Amino acid sequence: MRKPLEGVRVVDLTHVVAGPVASFTLGDLGAEVIKVEPPYRAAPAVATPPVAGAPDRPHNRVPLFNELNRSKLGIALDLSSGPGRDLLLRLVAVSDVVMENFSSRVLGNLRLEYEDLRAARPDIILVSMPAFGRSGPYRDRTAHGPGIDAMSGLSHLTGYGDGRPGKPGNFFCDYNAGLLAALATMAAVRHRRRTGEGQHVECAMLEGELQILGDALMDVTMNGRVRQPLGNRHPWMAPHGVYPCAGEDRWVALACRSDAEFAALCDVIERPELAHDPRYAALPARYRNQDALDALIGAWTRHRDEYEAMDALQRAGVAAGAVLDVGQLHADPQHVARRFFVPVAHPETGPAPLPRVAFRFARMSAEPERPAPCFAQHTDYVLRELLGMADAEVRELEQSGAVARDPRGSQEEGREVARK
Amino acid sequence: MPDGSALQGVRVVELVEGLAGAYCGKLLAGLGADVLKVEPPSGDSLRRAGPFPEDHPNPEASGLFLHLNPAKRSVTLAIETETGRRLLGRLLDTADVLVHDLAPGRARAIGLDDASLRNERPSLVAAAVTFFGSTGPYADFAGTEIVAQALSGYMSLTGDPDREPLKPYGYLAEYQAGLHAAVAVMAAVLARDATDEGDLADVSVTEAACFALGGPPQLAWWFDRTLKRNGTRLIGVGGRHPYPSTLRPCADGWVHAHSNNRNPELLAALVGDQWLASPEVLDAMTDRADEIDAVVDRWLADKTKWQAVAAAQEMRLPFTEVLTPAELLEDREGHLRSRGELVEVEHPVAGTVTQLGPPVHLGAGAWVSDRAPLLGEHTADVLCGTLGLTHDDLLRLRQAGVV
Repeated sequence: MRKPLEGVRVVDLTHVVAGPVASFTLGDLGAEVIKVEPPYRAAPAVATPPVAGAPDRPHNRVPLFNELNRSKLGIALDLSSGPGRDLLLRLVAVSDVVMENFSSRVLGNLRLEYEDLRAARPDIILVSMPAFGRSGPYRDRTAHGPGIDAMSGLSHLTGYGDGRPGKPGNFFCDYNAGLLAALATMAAVRHRRRTGEGQHVECAMLEGELQILGDALMDVTMNGRVRQPLGNRHPWMAPHGVYPCAGEDRWVALACRSDAEFAALCDVIERPELAHDPRYAALPARYRNQDALDALIGAWTRHRDEYEAMDALQRAGVAAGAVLDVGQLHADPQHVARRFFVPVAHPETGPAPLPRVAFRFARMSAEPERPAPCFAQHTDYVLRELLGMADAEVRELEQSGAVARDPRGSQEEGREVARK
Repeated sequence: MPDGSALQGVRVVELVEGLAGAYCGKLLAGLGADVLKVEPPSGDSLRRAGPFPEDHPNPEASGLFLHLNPAKRSVTLAIETETGRRLLGRLLDTADVLVHDLAPGRARAIGLDDASLRNERPSLVAAAVTFFGSTGPYADFAGTEIVAQALSGYMSLTGDPDREPLKPYGYLAEYQAGLHAAVAVMAAVLARDATDEGDLADVSVTEAACFALGGPPQLAWWFDRTLKRNGTRLIGVGGRHPYPSTLRPCADGWVHAHSNNRNPELLAALVGDQWLASPEVLDAMTDRADEIDAVVDRWLADKTKWQAVAAAQEMRLPFTEVLTPAELLEDREGHLRSRGELVEVEHPVAGTVTQLGPPVHLGAGAWVSDRAPLLGEHTADVLCGTLGLTHDDLLRLRQAGVV
C-alpha cells in the first residue's frame, strides 16, 4: 500500500527517546529515514537487556532500541572526524530533512549548524528538538522528559491530592515532543514544496507540553487560582475514578457524565434505589458524597474481574474501561481487532509487536514494516547506491575510522566521544 | 494570514464536540489553515467548560475554549436538520479537510463515514477522532478520558506501587489523539498535493495514550515482565542504571532530581558526599535508590528549588524545579516571554487573554495564534461570502433555527 511520505529522505541524528519517536513516525509514514549512529551503539534511555539470540551482536537485540528505531535504515559515522563530517554533508546534499536532539553545544562543536548544512543543500530542513529552546535564559539547561514534566506544571497537577507531585507514565514528554516534531517536519516539507525555501524548525520539548495544560494556565490568569491534583476525580463528573476488582491490583475505571448514566450504573450494581436517594440522585449532591458512593460501587466491582465489570457497565451505556496492565495489552480484543501492535520481523530477534501510530488510513498505510537496522546495516546502500562511491573510496573511509561496520570500543569510550 | 504558512489556502471544516478534535484543529490553524469550526446554534460544548473569568460562566469566555480555538472561524449550523446538513455539504464542497468526532453510527447516518466520503468526496482529507476507533468490539463503547487512559495501560504506569492506578492531570490522552489526527491530516495533505486523492484517518484516543507508553509493552512481550507504576521514579530500570530520576522535597517545594547519566559520579560532587561516588554505589545506583534519596534529601533540606536547580545545572546535572502553573506563568527568568510563548490577545468578551504561543518554532512561515472566535462570528461571512447565500436567506435560516 502507498505511504504518504514516499520520496522524502530524512537524515536522523537523534538519540534517546523524543527524537527517535519523531523520526520513526516519519518512517512509518513512508519517509526514507537514515539513522546516523556514532561508531558505537549508544544505550537507549532505559537500558534493557538484549533478547536471547546469537551470543555476539547483543546490541542488535535491545527491544527498546528496536522499537524506537523501526522504519529506519542505519549507518555509523564518526562525525567528529573530518572525513565523517564530509560524508554526512554529502548525505545531506541528497536529503530533504536533518533531525537532531543533541544538547545545545554539540552541533556547533561538530561545525554542523544550520548554515553549514545549507552550504551542502540550500533548501535543507533542519529540525532541532532542544529541551527548552535554542534561545532564552534556559537555552543551556539540560533536562530529560520527566524533568520537563516538572517544569511544565504537569507533575504538580498529577497526584493523589496529598501534597506530593506525581509522574505521568514513563516518557510522556518525549512522545508528545516527538509527534509535534513529526508534524512540524511535514509542515516544513510542504512549505518548501510551495516556496522552494528550507528552514530551521525548533521543537522545544517544554513548549510542546504546555499545550496540554491550557485550562490550568487559564485558571491562573483568569482567577489567580492554582489548581491542585484531583487524584482520579473530575471537576464535574461523579462518580469518576477506579474501583477495585477481583484479584490483585485489578481495577475498573468508570465515569458518569449525567444523572441518566448514574441511574443506569445503579441498575448494573443492583442498587437501583440509589438513583432516587437524595444523597446521590443529582450531580451536586453526588459530587459531595463521592467517598460514600465510591464504597457502594466498590462493593459491587470487587467481586468481578475488570473485563466483566467493564462489559456489564458498557452494556448499560456507562463509560467504563478495564485498567489494563502492560502485560494485558497485546491480547486486548480491541487491540487485536485493530492490529494496534504490528508484528515486524527483525533478522536477529524474530518478530516483535510494535505499537503503531494511533490512526489508520482508509487507502494509504502508516504501519511499521521495516525493522530497526542492525548496526551499520545499510552502509553499502548509503555509500554506494545513494552517494555513488567506488570500492576504493569506501575502503578508505573504513580505514580512516570515519565509517564503522561494527561498534567500536565500549560504551565508556563512546561517552568520551560524545563529550568532546 | 502570514504569507507562506505551510497550510495557507487549505480549508478545514471542524465538526467536533470533544477536546481531541478541537486540538487537532488548533494545530492546523496554527500552521495557517483556514479552520471553520462548525458549532451547533447553542454553541460548542467546550464553551460550557471552565475556567471562566471570575468563575462567571459565559460561553464566550471559557478558558478551555479560548485555549483550544485560536485563529479559527466560527460558523453555526444545526446539522440535525436537513437544511443544516445540506449547507454542511456545500461547505465541504469548498473544503480540503474535514475533522470530526462523530460516533461511527452517527457518521454513517449523516453520510460522513468512510464509504460515503470515499464515493462522494474522493479528494477530501478527513480525520475521525473517537475514543476507541471506528472498528473493533469497543467501537460503540461509551468513552471518556479516564476510560481511555485505563484501557490504554497508561494508568497502570502512573501512581504509587501500593496504591490505586492514577490518572495524570487533565486530558492527556485526548490531546495526544488530537496530535495524531493533525499528523495524519498533514501527511494526507502532502500525499494529496501529488495525487489529488484524499483519505480518511480513523483516530483512536485510547491508542494515542497506548502509543505514548514508551516501551513497557515491548518488555512484557519479550521478557514476560509486567512493569507497573513506580511512584516518581523511572519505570523499567534496575541495578546499575544511573539514579536518581525522581521528585524530591526541598525547603520550599519539590525538585526533579536526575543523575547526569554519562557522569553519574557528579552527584557526589553536587551534594558533597563521596559515598555517592564509591564503586559500591555506582555499581548499584537504582538498587540503592532509597539510600540515595536520603542523601539527596539532606542536601535539599535547606535549599529552595531555585537554589538547588541552579547549583545542579551549573554542574550539568539535569535537575529542574517542580513548578505550579502560577510559577510557570510568573516565568522568573523571562524564558517563556523571551520566546514568545506567552501571548496577550484582546478578546471582545473575555478581555485581555494570555494565550500560549507556538508549540513549535518554525523558521519560515509564522505560527498563527489570533484570538478564538465568538459563537457564530463568521456565519454571515462564510454562508454569504463563500457559499453565496443572500442576507434574506440568512435571515430565514436564523428564523428556522438552522444558524
